[in-house]
Amino acid sequence: MDYIVKRTGFALMTLFVAISLNFVLFRAIPGGAVSGLRCQHCSVKFREAIIKQYGLDKSKWEQYVVYLDRLGHGDLGTSIADNRPVWDDIRQPLVNTLPMIVAGTVISVLLGVLAGVVAAWRRGTLMDTANTWTALAFYAAPTQWIGILVVFYIALPLGLPAAGIESNTLSIFGPPSTWAFVTDRANHLLLPALTLGIGLYGEYALIVRSSMLETLGEDYVLTARAKGLKNWAIVWKHGLRNAMLPLVTLIALSFGYIVAGAIVVEDVFSYPGIGLATINAIGRQDYPVLQGIFLLLTVAVIVANFAADLLYFKLDPRVTT
Amino acid sequence: MTDRRLLQVEELHVWFELGHGRELHAVQGISFDLAEGERLGLVGESGCGKTTTILALMGLLPGSASVSGRVLLNGEDILAEGEATVAPHRWHDVAMVFQGAMNAFNPVKTVGAQIAEPMELHGISSGRSAMARVRELLEMVGISGSRAGRYPHEFSGGMRQRAAIAMALACDPKVLLADEPTTALDVMVQAQILELLVALTNDLGLAMILVTHDLPVVAQVCGRAAVMYAGEIAETGPTQTLYHDPRHPYTRMLFAATPDLYGDDAVLSIPGVPPRLDREFEGCPFAPRCDSAFSRCAGEHPRLREIDPGHVAACHLNDVAVGAPAR
Amino acid sequence: MSASIQAPPVPDPLGAPAAVAPTRRGFMRELLFGSRQTVVGLAVIAFFVVIAVLAPDIVPHSVTQQTGPVYGAPNGHHLLGTDDGGIDMLSEVIYGARVSMLVGFAASVVCMVLGGLVGVLSGYFGGKTDIVLMRITDYFLVIPDVPLMIIAAAIFGRSLLNIIIIIGVIYWTSTARLLRAQVKSLRERVYVQRARSLGAGHSRLIGSHIMPQIAPLIVANTVLTIATAIFAETYISFLGLGDPSAISWGKLIQNSLTGGAVFHSAWWAIIPPGACVTVVILACTMVGQALEDSLNPRLRVGHLSVRRFRMRPFSARIESR
Repeated sequence: MDYIVKRTGFALMTLFVAISLNFVLFRAIPGGAVSGLRCQHCSVKFREAIIKQYGLDKSKWEQYVVYLDRLGHGDLGTSIADNRPVWDDIRQPLVNTLPMIVAGTVISVLLGVLAGVVAAWRRGTLMDTANTWTALAFYAAPTQWIGILVVFYIALPLGLPAAGIESNTLSIFGPPSTWAFVTDRANHLLLPALTLGIGLYGEYALIVRSSMLETLGEDYVLTARAKGLKNWAIVWKHGLRNAMLPLVTLIALSFGYIVAGAIVVEDVFSYPGIGLATINAIGRQDYPVLQGIFLLLTVAVIVANFAADLLYFKLDPRVTT
Repeated sequence: MTDRRLLQVEELHVWFELGHGRELHAVQGISFDLAEGERLGLVGESGCGKTTTILALMGLLPGSASVSGRVLLNGEDILAEGEATVAPHRWHDVAMVFQGAMNAFNPVKTVGAQIAEPMELHGISSGRSAMARVRELLEMVGISGSRAGRYPHEFSGGMRQRAAIAMALACDPKVLLADEPTTALDVMVQAQILELLVALTNDLGLAMILVTHDLPVVAQVCGRAAVMYAGEIAETGPTQTLYHDPRHPYTRMLFAATPDLYGDDAVLSIPGVPPRLDREFEGCPFAPRCDSAFSRCAGEHPRLREIDPGHVAACHLNDVAVGAPAR
Repeated sequence: MSASIQAPPVPDPLGAPAAVAPTRRGFMRELLFGSRQTVVGLAVIAFFVVIAVLAPDIVPHSVTQQTGPVYGAPNGHHLLGTDDGGIDMLSEVIYGARVSMLVGFAASVVCMVLGGLVGVLSGYFGGKTDIVLMRITDYFLVIPDVPLMIIAAAIFGRSLLNIIIIIGVIYWTSTARLLRAQVKSLRERVYVQRARSLGAGHSRLIGSHIMPQIAPLIVANTVLTIATAIFAETYISFLGLGDPSAISWGKLIQNSLTGGAVFHSAWWAIIPPGACVTVVILACTMVGQALEDSLNPRLRVGHLSVRRFRMRPFSARIESR
């Protein structure tokens, strides 16, 4: 209980720091957020009106309070580029990105566990070396480069979609059936998720391998063998459960990396998710949108870390305090 | 009268690969036997090969090991085809209580589940009858049956040791191998565990090999003992005989080295270190440290000779006929 | 998006040297050349450093002027073909080595200095200093790297120096943590206590007693940070925030994306820069991890493996030896 309280406290503190930091960072841009406005021929009065509209004429403290107040009401500000509420601008991209990220994470975990277990199982042999260095190579490779290679060597030859989220022909004869819709989305999701998975699995593979080796060296594994369990049964019943413990928290903790990868992947595949929205916002210097996105993502990372803390607490019966 | 013992080990050798073509000859031709219901002690310094020996009996050696010799369980050589022939006998016929039983349990599973595991595996019982048996076993070793659903970390060291013993008995084995079952426990708990082991082997007609470096333990629990040195057997015989009439200097010095709580004698330790086992050596392995070594010892390796029925020793001093100095 | 583009832990399939005590003579030599893994890694890094240093002298063609057709295929004249501007790829890749290696090394120096300061002070003084510094470290982990990169670029402009500083400022935390742990345990060692009781001042204690012991670990960690820095540089280039006038491998990868290399089937513009990044990062990881492993060895005995013990033919006792 005490542990949960401490972790909750920490999470809330970091949340507050992150929110405030978000505010500070974006206000620190020289020329203020207005610099992003395509406002070369604006009259002074127009400029002033805009500044007033965005509340940039008030003191920094007042702005801060307004910012917090707005946040409390779920208001993330207004986009400079298209004058719509930021939340409206990022809602759909968020919905688009979610399944892709989940699929990508699932792929990376599956690949990681597979590679890690095989490498630990066949420790010291060629399988081990090959698996490990392959995982490392993919992890070392820049994700955007992997994406380009995937487009070049997989998408084009196989005719898989390499851009966007929807085929042009999907709605050509009227609203598509649910099945057609889902498969079309899945098709477009596949390569970005695959790229994400390949680029990330390396870290998991190594952790799983290392954790598995440690587990396999434990006395209870020898006991299990003495009891007559077959090797695969030992791996399955005793090994995996214990070795996966670090992996679970690692996944939650590497959420930040997953997001960074998603940004890259969406750009390469022109996938209209939150990552692409970020890139576009950078290009248009639409700082309110950027601020909103980053706030969202930082909060998500903090929540993920917090979830990791709680999860480990639940999974390991030894953590009782 | 059948001369067949429950367990007969003949000329057991174990080698470990050290890389670069080198080998460690950890066990060098061990032979001993075990009768039904008998408690045999396997004694020696750390590193003399006693743990390796009993691991070999169950085929629990790593892939870097190679083995030769025969292990006859009721006349059948269970080591004939290596893993294939030894695996079916695990836990069923021969079970083990490991050194440091604290870690013998998987921390994320309940103790009860782990005791029931071999029963379910060998098809002896499952489900509720298995759990009933688990509680029965726990009671037998002095733990309340209601604790079956607890996790290992909720047990004290001594209780975990008892639970490990209960787990070893799960499939009703004929032979129990106990590797240093009382090391790392405090003295009171040690005594209890030893009492438990004696009681269980008596009640269940179980044979036991107790591996230890602790002589008082052997004296208390085992009727017979085999003394190992540098991977070989130095002497085997009834425990009392080993104490009163040792026929190998190592045995004698071992017993003498045990501190006498009530006496004023200085604690005698045996100077020197055991020989390296990654090389072949000439002569008696104990010669460099022996206080009675003579000319024959450095060049000729002593064979195990029978002194009396049931008492053998490998020492040239016993070869009265061949000009050994009078004792 | 926390600072998690880290180099992962690398197992040592080719064998790390046995644990060496840092105070033995010939220690450094044994550490660096003791295992095949470190030698190979160091050789690769050295190769690229040499190329980077000699770049202006060994480039076959100009990197600023068009010397061939747009996306010309590799031939005798242009060993790696030309890019979308008709510039020789090989020359660009060679020059790219310069920037990428420079950024990598320089940024990791920044990490080492920052992380070293925080880590050593935190571990040595403990108490309030430790708590404060660790809190700061925790919050640094919370700051998402992507917005920080964007904002720093917006505020300070895009130059190589800024990139180096940004990377250093984002990724120093792992070094800090590692050193803190080491220093903490060293502080309790007997000889430190003894020196302290003899009246040695803090700086002397840190300087002559603690630093020499942790120096190898710092080296190992720095090598790993170089890998992280080079990877981070590709990410910054991907975001379009890199120095516009500098050619780096990250920039070349980005060029291949924006220049449509895929659609011109110009594999020579796609593969080389990414491959170089991957290889260098792999080499750094090899060396760094092998070093760390030999300084902090963890011996693992496996009770489970595919290999079974072997049986040899029965041999009766040989009579005499």
